[in-house]
Amino acid sequence: MIPITLNSRDPRPIYLQVKESLRQLIISGVLTPESKLPSVREIAGTLAINPNTIQRAYRELEAEGFIYSIPGKGSFVSPNREISQEELHRRWEDLDHAVRELKFLGVSEEELIRHLKDEGGETP
Amino acid sequence: MIDAVNVVKRFDGFAALNHFNMHVPDGSVYGLIGPNGAGKSTIIRHVTGIYRPDSGEVSIDGRPVYENNDIKKRIGYIADEVFYFPQATTADMARFYQGIYPRFDSVRFEKLKTAFEISADHPIRKLSRGQQKQSAFWTVLAMHPEILILDEPVDGLDPVMRRQIWSLLLDEVAAEGTTILVSSHNLRELEDVCDHVGIIQNGSMMLERDLTELQDQIVKIQVVLPEGADIPTDLPLVHMSSSGNLKELIFRCDRETALDRFKMLSPTYMEAVPLSLEEIFIHELGGAGYGVENILL
Repeated sequence: MIPITLNSRDPRPIYLQVKESLRQLIISGVLTPESKLPSVREIAGTLAINPNTIQRAYRELEAEGFIYSIPGKGSFVSPNREISQEELHRRWEDLDHAVRELKFLGVSEEELIRHLKDEGGETP
Repeated sequence: MIDAVNVVKRFDGFAALNHFNMHVPDGSVYGLIGPNGAGKSTIIRHVTGIYRPDSGEVSIDGRPVYENNDIKKRIGYIADEVFYFPQATTADMARFYQGIYPRFDSVRFEKLKTAFEISADHPIRKLSRGQQKQSAFWTVLAMHPEILILDEPVDGLDPVMRRQIWSLLLDEVAAEGTTILVSSHNLRELEDVCDHVGIIQNGSMMLERDLTELQDQIVKIQVVLPEGADIPTDLPLVHMSSSGNLKELIFRCDRETALDRFKMLSPTYMEAVPLSLEEIFIHELGGAGYGVENILL
């Protein structure tokens, strides 16, 4: 079973929590390209959440190119996905946010650049 | 589709239902939420065809439910008190249901054995309250009802069994497109499982909403605006509070619209925060009355 994490204290709507969980699993490579996602029914049964909610998460992941579905067969992780501008924009915003925080905490520009160059390889 | 239109029901002059309206779409899981004495069980007994309305109409797929066996065959019902014959076991009740409900599935009844902690051959009256509920779920789930009506269903069940039962119910919804109407006095209990919610108070429906739409159409923005910048007046503001420079604003529009509008003011800080369902309902109801907050918290 795929480890989808839901938190009852998280104020985000459930469909968003399901969607983000799956997205993280795809980005981190836990779910490899072409692998099959659990069916809506499987998730509804195991997590005891509304199937319409899960369907919505799947619909949005498909619209964003993370997964594709074959009628009657199920949903699969997309092999090489087209990155949407919106998605890209959102990630840049996340980075800006993190950079602001680090600067506030006194991290210098040189340190930031050095860190970016080896992509989080070594955290001081 | 379950429809209640303008339903009035009086008991000794007391209007338990007062021009009550409700619309439950096919395939939805509809949570009917209200404080004690609001009229939840009364409307449920109309939808199951036990009561006849004094005026107004209660119908399923456009046909009145009262005294209508064709419709009632399609309904599975778990009442607030479990009904059974005095000496009956769960297996006896299953045999009885089999004669009444055409879709009763004895193979499924056997399969469900593993899902419950009780024995089918144990007299129901000797079971605890929570175990009696389990017995009722067992027989009702074996019926493959098109419509399931549940009056405070998980009352008296321990958390593990509660989850187990919701898993079985939602599996049924996903597999068969079952419509579920479920009542509770607590919103939080139902927010994971419902896609529609109706709030009932004093015998009237205060509001009914599609939950996903509801969550998309309201947003909380925390923002620090530069000196001299005003809050835009062209967005529908629901609520505002501030502490120091930080303003917390709730708008009735989608997240992107609000964020785009605020970006034009070049704020020093801005974040969109999701609202919990409780917060949304408190704003939707606009402090409509004492007692409502109890069901939300």
